[in-house]
Amino acid sequence: MSNYRFDRLKVLVVDDNAHMRKLVVTILQAFGVIQIFEAETGDRAWHILRESNPDVIMLDWVMEGMSGLDLIQMIRTNPQTPNPFVPVIMLTGHTSLDHVARARDAGVNEFIAKPVSVKTVMSRLVAVIEHPRPYVRTLGYFGPCRRRRGVDEYRGPERRSESPKQQAAE
Amino acid sequence: MKRQQPIELFMPPNMLKAKVGGGLGGMDMGAMKRAESAMDGLKGQFSDWIASDVKALIEARANYAKKVDADTRGALLRRAHDIKGQAPTFDFPLIARVAGSLARMIGELPPATALPLSLIDAHVNAIQVIHKQNLKDTNDKIAQALCAELDARVDDVVKAATK
Repeated sequence: MSNYRFDRLKVLVVDDNAHMRKLVVTILQAFGVIQIFEAETGDRAWHILRESNPDVIMLDWVMEGMSGLDLIQMIRTNPQTPNPFVPVIMLTGHTSLDHVARARDAGVNEFIAKPVSVKTVMSRLVAVIEHPRPYVRTLGYFGPCRRRRGVDEYRGPERRSESPKQQAAE
Repeated sequence: MKRQQPIELFMPPNMLKAKVGGGLGGMDMGAMKRAESAMDGLKGQFSDWIASDVKALIEARANYAKKVDADTRGALLRRAHDIKGQAPTFDFPLIARVAGSLARMIGELPPATALPLSLIDAHVNAIQVIHKQNLKDTNDKIAQALCAELDARVDDVVKAATK
């Protein structure tokens, strides 16, 4: 049985709906999280983020002004970000594959599909603690690896090696 | 084949695990039990919360009817989307379904296409009726027929606008 020290975590909850924030904050407090910051807009979240440098961010997608996706891109790529690796758990009513792909492309670590439940909040927290994703930097993307598998999991031949002859010989 | 661009893949140190510990990990059942109790404690407020969300939807509908633009449309979408996501938690799954249908229509119709006010009203009125009559049974035949009709009309509107 795990015995996490959730009281050591700093969590930022970003949602423009006060009821949803209250729900998530209540769950986190019951888990033992003490330092919880709340923001109702992306702009306010960015301000808090730079001041308090949270360990985990729980973020709504659909908000007035700066959307959840815009905020994630700032977190991952803005030079003023305090931690481009901070795990972001996205709370969303969007569950189509297209939406999931867009959020992954923006740099989301984990999803919680609304309606929010205690079990899903715990499971996503455990996922970012126990199974962090490797990070990828390319010309067009910086963020968690969009594949579920670990960095060093693949042990087979290199199929993208420089020489096709060498590949054939293998 | 040469890669078209450099790809850097790396694993940052797991500072989170170092901070919270947790041994072999896994779900913290004690914490979950406490959270379920805390959620039960909130249930008394859910009725007020859904009433406030429905009121916000009605206001967003009125604002859109007064002035059709991207801001009022966005606000209407956000209110519908909020209800879709929250109403099941507040024990109103039928409201969530109708709000989901409304959010789908707003999200899938091209921004240049005006939203049909009559169909918005059909959704908003249905949500008000479900709320006032406290309908929570997803097997209710009349509610099912209403939801199916709204879905079908949204399908028609979206198809007509996007073909």
